[in-house]
Amino acid sequence: MNRKNKFLLYSLLLSVLVLSVVLATAIGAVAIPPGETFRIILARLTGLFTVADIPTSTQSIIWNLRFPRVLLGLLIGASLALAGVSFQGLLRNPLADPFTIGVSSGAAVGATVAILLRQVYQFNFPQMVPLFAFVGAFLAMFFVYNLAKIGGQVPVVTLLLAGVVVSSFLSAVISLLMVFAGENMQGIFFWLSGGLIMRSWTEIWFVLPYLLIGSVILYTYARDLNVLLMGEEAALTLGVNVERTKKILLVTASLVTAAAVSVSGMIGFVGLIIPHAVRIVTGPDHRTLLPASALVGASFLIWADVVARTVMAPKEIPVGIITAFVGAPFFIYLLRKKKSEIRL
Amino acid sequence: MKIEIQDITFTYGSHKILDNITFRISSGKFVGVIGPNGSGKTTFLKVLSRILRPTAGCVTLGEQLLEQFSQKELARTMAVVSQDTNSGYQFTVEDVVLMGRAPYLGRFQSESIADYEIVRQALEVTGCSHLKDRYITELSGGERQRVMIARALAQQPKVLLLDEPTSHLDIGYQQEILDLVKRLSTTEGITVVAVLHDLNLAAYYCHELVLVQQGKILACGLPTEVVTAENIEKVYGTRVLVSPHPVFGTPQVSLLPGMYRQSKTQQLDHIHIIAGGGSGGELMRDLCDSGYYVTAGVLSIGDSDWEAARALNLPVISEAPFSSVSSTRHQEHLKMLQKAQAVVLAEIPLGHGNLLNLEAALQAAAAGIKVYVLEEKPEQNRDFTGGEGQKLLRQVKEQGILITEKAQLYRALAEQLRLNSSLDDLSKETNSASSG
Repeated sequence: MNRKNKFLLYSLLLSVLVLSVVLATAIGAVAIPPGETFRIILARLTGLFTVADIPTSTQSIIWNLRFPRVLLGLLIGASLALAGVSFQGLLRNPLADPFTIGVSSGAAVGATVAILLRQVYQFNFPQMVPLFAFVGAFLAMFFVYNLAKIGGQVPVVTLLLAGVVVSSFLSAVISLLMVFAGENMQGIFFWLSGGLIMRSWTEIWFVLPYLLIGSVILYTYARDLNVLLMGEEAALTLGVNVERTKKILLVTASLVTAAAVSVSGMIGFVGLIIPHAVRIVTGPDHRTLLPASALVGASFLIWADVVARTVMAPKEIPVGIITAFVGAPFFIYLLRKKKSEIRL
Repeated sequence: MKIEIQDITFTYGSHKILDNITFRISSGKFVGVIGPNGSGKTTFLKVLSRILRPTAGCVTLGEQLLEQFSQKELARTMAVVSQDTNSGYQFTVEDVVLMGRAPYLGRFQSESIADYEIVRQALEVTGCSHLKDRYITELSGGERQRVMIARALAQQPKVLLLDEPTSHLDIGYQQEILDLVKRLSTTEGITVVAVLHDLNLAAYYCHELVLVQQGKILACGLPTEVVTAENIEKVYGTRVLVSPHPVFGTPQVSLLPGMYRQSKTQQLDHIHIIAGGGSGGELMRDLCDSGYYVTAGVLSIGDSDWEAARALNLPVISEAPFSSVSSTRHQEHLKMLQKAQAVVLAEIPLGHGNLLNLEAALQAAAAGIKVYVLEEKPEQNRDFTGGEGQKLLRQVKEQGILITEKAQLYRALAEQLRLNSSLDDLSKETNSASSG
């Protein structure tokens, strides 16, 4: 992509994202005009002016309920898409996604344990579920990484295999815990399906640092990711310190995933299809692919969440179900239509 | 930049793939590494490029030990073009060649105008300028290989390593790529080490050759010293003919197929060929290839059929050049004929000097040996004896079997010999039945 096309692409994606944030915040049980919504958000974000003409209850709905939720959707979508691009590039496998190497299963076990502790043993402290999930994710990553390590190197194939094996083992652990849980199973089920319900600013502050620092690190390694696509041996001869690069990328992408999954549960398909869809437009150059995927992933998850909370209102559907319902057919469409272009 | 390789050993498990390799490559030389499959050529190149670390020994690039280079420093000194360059990613040719500039760029730095200029030059030198905006995935094998060399050049290396750069290419591209590589070594002073499969190309292009066998250097030096029939037979287990290139005198290898079979002790069907004047070379080769024990006679020394028989290591009755078949040679010929299961009379020119060969064929037929008379061009007059030869030939045709094309001859021979062997089996069986 040349400079002009890149500029156009980024402008388009950014406008779509801003528009999505405003519209998604405006949509809900109480209808609030998008113009008002925009003014409230802008006033609160910048602090440059006040919006005294709008009732405080409306302001409160926007700022304390809807906007954080939309913002969290944005952050989670961006995190998952970024991690997806990184894993697909790093593992040179089109089927890889943020969940491939077992990070999410680890988070799920952590979350399940936390929910059980709270509901069965009344053991509780603030933010216990995300913290347990994060620790679980971290332990799973650590375990998979060391399982795959052979003499100081981490071959991609071993990493994939170790990830798949650990994932299915942890899934069995979750099933077992759910048997123990009995009637408390619904909480676990909802967490596993992924959702943004009842989330507030706390979760945003939890995810934001990982996404910010993570995306900076991933972007600085974009050229190395490109060179790695030529194969590891070729990358070595082109001056890339392959093993160190793999380690850094693996840990960074895993931590970004872990943070996202800990607060949102298992939202599938974003990290798998967004990179593929964006790659069709941008090509495989990670210097464009990474930021573009983050922007698209953010908008995508915002709208998926809008559908999740409106389509059966007042009941909510876990957003992971929506992403799968939209994601799977879209992925199949891509496969059939653009057969030749489904590659990394 | 000179390269010194000192006692390099590489073991994989308990298997020694490289065994104490030591040699020196001086600056600006084009060195070819040759050897059979599995001899360790590629491993050797991977040790040189530091993709693999040797179990023992060391490599020095210029004045510095290979292991002391940082990864980027090494990539600025040495470029590698590997065998398998087909990655399925839709990068444009320019993107791929730009990757050659990666070792010169910092983590937060993007390509400068100077980098693009170097890429432009690399594309030009390799003849890829017109491919610049094409996807690497849609190029032909030869084009892709040239792009990979362009990427290597963008690294501005002092050493270029190539692993079978021409293995999947047709002869036109092979020449183009090796011409390019040779030019780089002679004009730019880049030291080139290339693993090559084709002995003739290696001998033709390289300044020096290294012949590897089972991880050891069997020979190294100038192509004329390394590519000898003796060395090739030792390493590849096949006998070849090494002759100087008709124009430049570099050693060229010609295959002599089927020859090694002659040395085996098993009983082979014996076919005798009466030839001369270039009528029998192809026959001899084909029948050798088919696994027959082939003899020939009576041939004049220096005749092209005589050369062919000698190259194929066939037992031959030979006569002095430009003289008629003597009665001694005729007697020897008859003795040889008696042992044959079949005789083939090639389409020889008939002169007074070789009428005795027709005589011999007639006698063989009279002795009950099948005589095949090959005549692919009946319209051609090949009698230079004023009718005598023609008359004899007609007699041989009456006694023998007339064949009008080679393929038919091979089928007839195969059929006859199969029949012979089954008759043998039958008689053996009846013998054992009657005795038992």
